[in-house]
Amino acid sequence: MSMRITTLMSTRATLRDLNDGFARLNRLQGQLSSGKQISRPSDDPYGTSRALALRGELGGLDQFQRNVDDGTGWLNTCDTALGQMSDVMGRVRELLVQGGNDTAGPAERSAMADEIDQLAESLKQEADTQYGGRFVFSGTATDTAPYALGGADRYQGDAGTITRAIGPGVEIPINTDIRALLGDGQGASDDKLLNTLRDISDHLRGSTPADADALRTTDLQRLDANVDVLNGIRADVGARTNRLAVAGSRLSGLALNSTRLLSDVEDADMAQTITQYTTQQAAYSAALKAGANIVQSSLLDFLH
Amino acid sequence: MTSAFFGLQTSLRGLLTQQQALDVTGHNIANANTQGYSRQEAVLEPTRPYIIPANSVNTGAGAQLGSGVDVAAIRRVRDQFLDLQYRAQQMSLGDATARTGSLDNIEGAFAEPSDDGLAAQLSRFWDAWSDVANAPENVGARSALVTTAQTLTTSFRTISDQLTTVAQQAQDEFDAITRAGGQVENIASELAGLNRAIGDAVFRGQQPNDLMDRRDQLVDQLSQLAQVSVTDTGDARWRIDFGGVTLIDPSTPAGYTWPQTLGATPGGKLGALQDLASATGPALTYRTQLDAIAADLVASVNALHTSTPFFDPAGTTAATIAVVATSATVQTGSGRASGENDVAQAITRLRGGSTDQLYQALVARIGTESQASVRAQSTAQSLVDAIDDRRQSVAGVSLDEEMTNLIRFQRGYQASARTMTTLDEMLDTLVNRTGRVGL
Repeated sequence: MSMRITTLMSTRATLRDLNDGFARLNRLQGQLSSGKQISRPSDDPYGTSRALALRGELGGLDQFQRNVDDGTGWLNTCDTALGQMSDVMGRVRELLVQGGNDTAGPAERSAMADEIDQLAESLKQEADTQYGGRFVFSGTATDTAPYALGGADRYQGDAGTITRAIGPGVEIPINTDIRALLGDGQGASDDKLLNTLRDISDHLRGSTPADADALRTTDLQRLDANVDVLNGIRADVGARTNRLAVAGSRLSGLALNSTRLLSDVEDADMAQTITQYTTQQAAYSAALKAGANIVQSSLLDFLH
Repeated sequence: MTSAFFGLQTSLRGLLTQQQALDVTGHNIANANTQGYSRQEAVLEPTRPYIIPANSVNTGAGAQLGSGVDVAAIRRVRDQFLDLQYRAQQMSLGDATARTGSLDNIEGAFAEPSDDGLAAQLSRFWDAWSDVANAPENVGARSALVTTAQTLTTSFRTISDQLTTVAQQAQDEFDAITRAGGQVENIASELAGLNRAIGDAVFRGQQPNDLMDRRDQLVDQLSQLAQVSVTDTGDARWRIDFGGVTLIDPSTPAGYTWPQTLGATPGGKLGALQDLASATGPALTYRTQLDAIAADLVASVNALHTSTPFFDPAGTTAATIAVVATSATVQTGSGRASGENDVAQAITRLRGGSTDQLYQALVARIGTESQASVRAQSTAQSLVDAIDDRRQSVAGVSLDEEMTNLIRFQRGYQASARTMTTLDEMLDTLVNRTGRVGL
């Protein structure tokens, strides 16, 4: 004998099916309105842990990108200052060549020496360039000006390195050792730029043939050696700027990729969800209609 | 030889019996939508025959003459074996439902994946350290870091509190159900009363169908709370074991004993609640794991932040983790220079490290366990539904069937009445028209 179907059974089955249908509809509706297929870990435990890892990764990439931007700003500031120094050194060289000529009189030479001293000060001023309130050429002593304007030519910063993290475990130094170019002045007689400039100034003021000779020979050589150092430093800064630019574009590529992966894991596939939703809605309406018919009719309707 | 009026008696029995059967049908129809009602059936039985003694006129042998019909019993149509299966599944369903509800609350507490969950907060904490590494001299960056860290520790504490609450809620619910005057005792005292009434009725030879339905229904309710086993004591009264203790014992004066301490594994909703509230239950286990994550964060940051502790070294649980650093004591570098950022840089390298991984593993575990309990609940629900359908198939009222019965018994009643009319006409012939020849 087939299964006996009772009144309560059919109404309960109808109700149960309607509830299930409505629950499915509701879940799809939630996915459509939030755009997410994972709203709680139990929706997809593996997907959730992937989503968390990818979100963490994306957060890291965003931060690295900000670090790259900050580092680029810093290096650009350095580069501008170094460019100014380069111009200054060009002028120094002009004066030096003029001053080395015997045609210049003592008054002219003295004026040149004054200009050289001014140029030395402007080099120090360039070295005191700040980025966001920090002295970029002071090593890690960023609250201290590397050179005191109008004071001694001694370097006041330290030899510390400032780095920016541009990737997991990848850190790039962003500061430049300006002491290698400017040095500690005449007191240290280190043949660095400030020492050379002060010597040139002295030689211009001096009137002995040895002074004039030094201007034409050793001073010019020392200045050219320092120009080489400056060019080396600028090349290095440029190379690091390039490295940051490459890192930046790689980071945005990675971020794009992670975003896509995260979207794959976390976001609802709209086309699919809408299709499912429409199908479910049709099924639910059909169940409602069928339920209305099943629940109503019994033999009672046909007896009189 | 039977009396001339014998047939009248037979027809009367027919009328009365069909009427009773109609009453039963009416009772069934009235209870078509009553939960726990089992359909009833009038068991019709021929009455004892009239024995015509031996030496009859023709054959000399005797005979038995049918004397009509009677209602032998009104029985309840029910399959006790299905009840057993139903109660076993109800127990699993009670367990799975309580667990799913609790794990759902736990998932809510973690609020993952989202932009406000602990994972996002950790990410923002590492971001804040990076900002400090980029601008170690900047007090603003350092105070932003301290604020971000405080928000993070608040989140740890909030989740820890919520997990504690989930465990406490399970305990509260357990207490509310099992306390004196609670759900269990209410059911137990009604069951004890029913036991007495059923025993008395059966002793008097009646079958108290509706009382038995009510008793079955109450046992169904109990079976969702904990494991139930029923023993018939032989006089239609039941002894009921509940969650490892004897709840109903008809031999005691009260008929039931409550409150009692349940067994170690009572099963059902109470078993689940007991487990959810215990230190080895999910909520407190997850809290312990969250404590480990907090401790890991404190240890790994403080190990690098060597000048003064960043996090309170004593606060190594999720409930006690606290920031002690201020914007003045945040350490950015190992030396004294203002621009040093090696310490901050080292701390940012912790991003994606053990703390993040432990947390992701915890969320994945919660998700897996919650998903398993949702599945267990849905399986138990379908099994309960399937068995209940079979139960309903046996015991439920079918209106079509009852309408058919209604017609059947109505026609039976009419036919009995017709028989009586026929007999009446026969007697009329005998009494009024016999012996009147020629009158």
